[in-house]
Amino acid sequence: MSFGSPYLTLPDFAYHRPATLEEAIALLREHGDEAKLMGGGVGLIAFMKERLMSPTHVIDMKGVAELKVVEEVPGRGMRIGAAATLEELLEEGKLKKGYAVLHEALSKVADPMIRRRATLVGNLCEAIPWVDSPPALIALDASVEILGTDGKRSAQVSKFIRGPVDIDLSPTEIVTAVEIPEARGRESAFEKFTAGSEFSVASVAVALLNEGRRRSARVVYGAVNPTPARCLEVEEEIKDGLTPASVRKAADAAYEKVECMDDVLASSPYRKHLVKVITTKVLRRMMGR
Amino acid sequence: MRAVSVKVNGHVRRREIKDNELLLDFLRDKVEVRSVKAACWRGECGLCTVMLDGALVKSCLVLAVEADGKEVRTVEGITVGGELTAIQRAFVEHGAAQCGFCTPAWVLATYDLLKKNPHPTEADLTEAVGGLVCRCGTYNQIREAVAEVAESTSKPRHRAAESLAQA
Repeated sequence: MSFGSPYLTLPDFAYHRPATLEEAIALLREHGDEAKLMGGGVGLIAFMKERLMSPTHVIDMKGVAELKVVEEVPGRGMRIGAAATLEELLEEGKLKKGYAVLHEALSKVADPMIRRRATLVGNLCEAIPWVDSPPALIALDASVEILGTDGKRSAQVSKFIRGPVDIDLSPTEIVTAVEIPEARGRESAFEKFTAGSEFSVASVAVALLNEGRRRSARVVYGAVNPTPARCLEVEEEIKDGLTPASVRKAADAAYEKVECMDDVLASSPYRKHLVKVITTKVLRRMMGR
Repeated sequence: MRAVSVKVNGHVRRREIKDNELLLDFLRDKVEVRSVKAACWRGECGLCTVMLDGALVKSCLVLAVEADGKEVRTVEGITVGGELTAIQRAFVEHGAAQCGFCTPAWVLATYDLLKKNPHPTEADLTEAVGGLVCRCGTYNQIREAVAEVAESTSKPRHRAAESLAQA
């Protein structure tokens, strides 16, 4: 059934399901920017329906077994393969204590049926401002592992996302995994504010590191700007620990320093208010743990 | 065009499809399973929900070619010997359908929930059906239907206090 309108149909494309990364790279070398990689398809299929993307080749990465692997390497951290779904990552015991911020962010993405199909790497590569995984990954200082025709490289998530719907990835490259460094004594949490949909109007991801004498904090705000960004002033207030006074100071710093955009979802002053509220909320919750 | 073979409600269906065809269109137009509804086409309403290899998915966000060699179950496929399942009977008794358009998806989702978790809490139910919409607003009746089925099966003691049936 097709009325020729967007939403109902997909553009014409050839479907490929490589079984190995070598096959996938060969397909990309052949088809270049005529091709799009598909993980869960949640983003790509929706984008294609709206004709925001019209690839003539779709390369489904779900058949590449090695991309399914999610492993914790002692001393190094977590390595999450590009085909791992959000549902798989949310299974009990998968994302342990030090990765709480990611668990909390992913558990609030859309609904269980979407999370069954959607992948972390797909969610990240959309780089849509109101998506929740990027702030959480930046708080954890995560990197993406990228395979291209000339070999492997790695990029920090904070640099990989260049702008809204703009990532540092050439048409012949594949994001193969997300790597999150291990940190002993890391406490982390996520909070978001939504208004009538699952999309964030403002979100905050916090990670507090306490490694011996080295104490530091990473606080990342999502959905208030075209790209997620850290707020160093807030980090400064809480790096030595959470007390009622430091939480108050951090919330004030967030209100003062986090730049907020105006858009159809919310005005800039309203977002500033929300930033203060969610900062207080997330830090109080962490203090109570 | 390519040939795919999908087991739909126990019957193997072989059809010619195009690579850009959705599982939703395949089921409705090529296999003529009309309980799978097309409404928002973008993964928001959940009315095209089906079970793909035993797991609920929104068929408007799945390519038909991805289902090749797999098994799809829709609401037609959950009855045994023509008998309604407990949740279907409870939907009827509680009037958990008004216009009925979304009912197949709700039945399938609550059937799946009760199978995995026979005594869901209020929060379990809200979470499980978070991707479904009923524009007539029969949410309360659906909740009652689920509670009745949950209550009708024996309950482990430790969960009794928080179970939906007593909410």
